[in-house]
Amino acid sequence: MEIAAFASFAALVLAWIVLPVRSEAPAAAETAPEALPEPVAA
Amino acid sequence: MDLDTGNTAWILVSAALVMLMTPALGFFYAGLVGKRNALSTLLHSFFVLCLVSVQFVLWGYTLAFGPSQGGLIGGLDWAGLAGVGPEPNPDYAPGVPHLAYMAFQMMFAVITPALITGAFAERVSFKAFILFTLLWSTVVYAPIAHWVWGVGGWLRVFGAIDFAGGTVVHISSGVSALVAALVIGRRLARTEPHDATMTVLGAGLLWFGWFGFNAGSALAANGLAANAFVVTNTAAAMGALTWLTVSWIHRGRPSALGAALGAVAGLVAITPAAGFVTVPASIVIGLGAGTVCYLATLLRPRLRIDDALDVWAVHGIGGTWGAAATGLFASVAVNGAGVNGLFAGNPDLLVKQLVAIGATWLYAGVMTAVIVKIIQLTVGLRVREDDEVLGLDRSQHGEIAYQHD
Repeated sequence: MEIAAFASFAALVLAWIVLPVRSEAPAAAETAPEALPEPVAA
Repeated sequence: MDLDTGNTAWILVSAALVMLMTPALGFFYAGLVGKRNALSTLLHSFFVLCLVSVQFVLWGYTLAFGPSQGGLIGGLDWAGLAGVGPEPNPDYAPGVPHLAYMAFQMMFAVITPALITGAFAERVSFKAFILFTLLWSTVVYAPIAHWVWGVGGWLRVFGAIDFAGGTVVHISSGVSALVAALVIGRRLARTEPHDATMTVLGAGLLWFGWFGFNAGSALAANGLAANAFVVTNTAAAMGALTWLTVSWIHRGRPSALGAALGAVAGLVAITPAAGFVTVPASIVIGLGAGTVCYLATLLRPRLRIDDALDVWAVHGIGGTWGAAATGLFASVAVNGAGVNGLFAGNPDLLVKQLVAIGATWLYAGVMTAVIVKIIQLTVGLRVREDDEVLGLDRSQHGEIAYQHD
């Protein structure tokens, strides 16, 4: 049982190392320069 | 009989921990529904806490734990808690006031029908929900609790074991949820979880309360309680890690909601086993829970049954895996009053566990179908379509959860 427990956990750790994270491009509104606040005039 | 003050204190604290699980469940569920149904979903759990607290002291406890009537249900001897006082009942919890044992059991009776509310969320009428909860607690929960835990209950006599409620709480509610969702029908439109933070908070509070649920079921502040505590934590953690990983493989990203659902799946699966298995076994049980419950959520849409918050996948399938795993991994090295499972050389226990699983699936499924059909034919199950579109918070309660959009 101990071997199965260690193997289970090791399999998860290995998966976290090798699995890619599928990224999605952020929405345009979140990155567009015009979304940033205008600088305050002196 | 003398009172054991340490054990009594532990049971009372455990009862309070389990009590917290029902409002925690409300938060867990409310985060998963649309924002127009958040308050009604919270209220379902809160209302069950109030309703079953009264039902249980009046007739629920005696039907579940009263003197056995042929192993099927308790008699009415303890209706209104007659004869249930500060003195211990040695049949159930030696050294602990009978009232404290009753209070602990009451919190189990409370959370079980609350679990089912996730199946018919976002379209059930409040009146139907009240009737369902009262009837189900009386006709389904009390008999199954008696079969498994009552002195003279037929599954207890038969030799099936269930430390803290895999059959009584999780299979019964999970199967009933599937049947209730089938009869009430699909929502007009599926909604996205409106507040995942609420769900993760709810899962954390459920996890906290589950220490009372499982470690409290030792009914004493002793080594068995400590074992139950540690295997509960370990299985919850493995359930969360596994669900997150399996869903990462399947969907390409690690999910916060997946971690929360996986923790609950691990907690469900370890519940029947907590007083009978070792810590390494709890790692395997948590791994199995995170895997099979996630796969069950994938199966559910193919069944075309709108069990809105996956009660069947998490509790029905998780409870079934846990009850079967108890038959695989149980060891008298953990609990001298228990019995060995298949991997300790006793295949009989697995057979008995499968009989208990089958009996609970069958009885809960059939009786829930009867109850929801009766309600459907009398007061009706669903709100009107325009009320469903408006959301249950406004249409059923005249309130809203949030003042801002």
